[in-house]
Amino acid sequence: MELKIRKSGENYIIDVNGEMDLYNSYRLKELVMKMLEKKVERFIINLENVDYIDSSGIGALIYICSTIKKLNLKLVITNIHGSVKKVIELTKLMGYFPITQSIEEALERMEA
Amino acid sequence: MANENLRNGILEIRVDENSPLFDKTGMLHKEFPSDFRQIRYFTLLVVQSAPPDIKEINLLEQQISEIIKNAVKHGNKCNPEKKVRVWYSFSPEHAHLVVEDEGEGFRDLEKWNEFNRKRQACLEKADFETLADYVSFRTARSDDNDGGNALFAALEYWDGGFVFNQKRNAVAMLKRFPKRRMGLAADES
Repeated sequence: MELKIRKSGENYIIDVNGEMDLYNSYRLKELVMKMLEKKVERFIINLENVDYIDSSGIGALIYICSTIKKLNLKLVITNIHGSVKKVIELTKLMGYFPITQSIEEALERMEA
Repeated sequence: MANENLRNGILEIRVDENSPLFDKTGMLHKEFPSDFRQIRYFTLLVVQSAPPDIKEINLLEQQISEIIKNAVKHGNKCNPEKKVRVWYSFSPEHAHLVVEDEGEGFRDLEKWNEFNRKRQACLEKADFETLADYVSFRTARSDDNDGGNALFAALEYWDGGFVFNQKRNAVAMLKRFPKRRMGLAADES
């Protein structure tokens, strides 16, 4: 799994590439925690290039989402598809996670 | 056929030593050491015998990997001396597995069912604020890498049943797939 950060205005987009599984999902969690220490307030997690997620990956997203909600900061998870979408649906968390279809929609939601 | 894990409209993990799902007649068998680093590799060795139609963009692999992970990590505590045994059978219409470890058994099964009932109640009310307390099942033995959500998805996925034996160190599961004709599921045509 590869993690890249880019900036769009005040928003930090984390592009996740590869598989989010039991061996590497903690790295996304650690990255977000470091960004929080650096006072980042708006996060977009882009899963466009993620074709596999397991319960550790979902767990990392839950941890990130609940931490950011508690701090009253902003998060959007975007571009979920294929088996990633199916696993989130099986876990019934589609309504819990702040999800958009695209980066553009995520940026709009940030401004709302 | 109705999902046997359904109790009063809510899915529950059952304990039933005599479930027909534990009948291993005609099933293939593999056993693995409890090596955490090789969980996905072991899973691939099992899944490779499944017909492509039911692999569903790696969802079958993912769901089996969760069960093998539970056996390796929570059952056998990653002790390489302890084995995980897997019996499996696949066809275009089903996936049937029995996964057994050498651990003390899933002691928190009743707590898990209770936790899941509360979670389902939040989902029904679309109460996502309270749901935040029920998205991840934790015990005193959970660590930071445990998502605590694998069994929620498992109960939904294994729609033909998801049942533990009396000792709770073995779990049998069945997934049914719709009959396909001309490359389309019958109910899609």
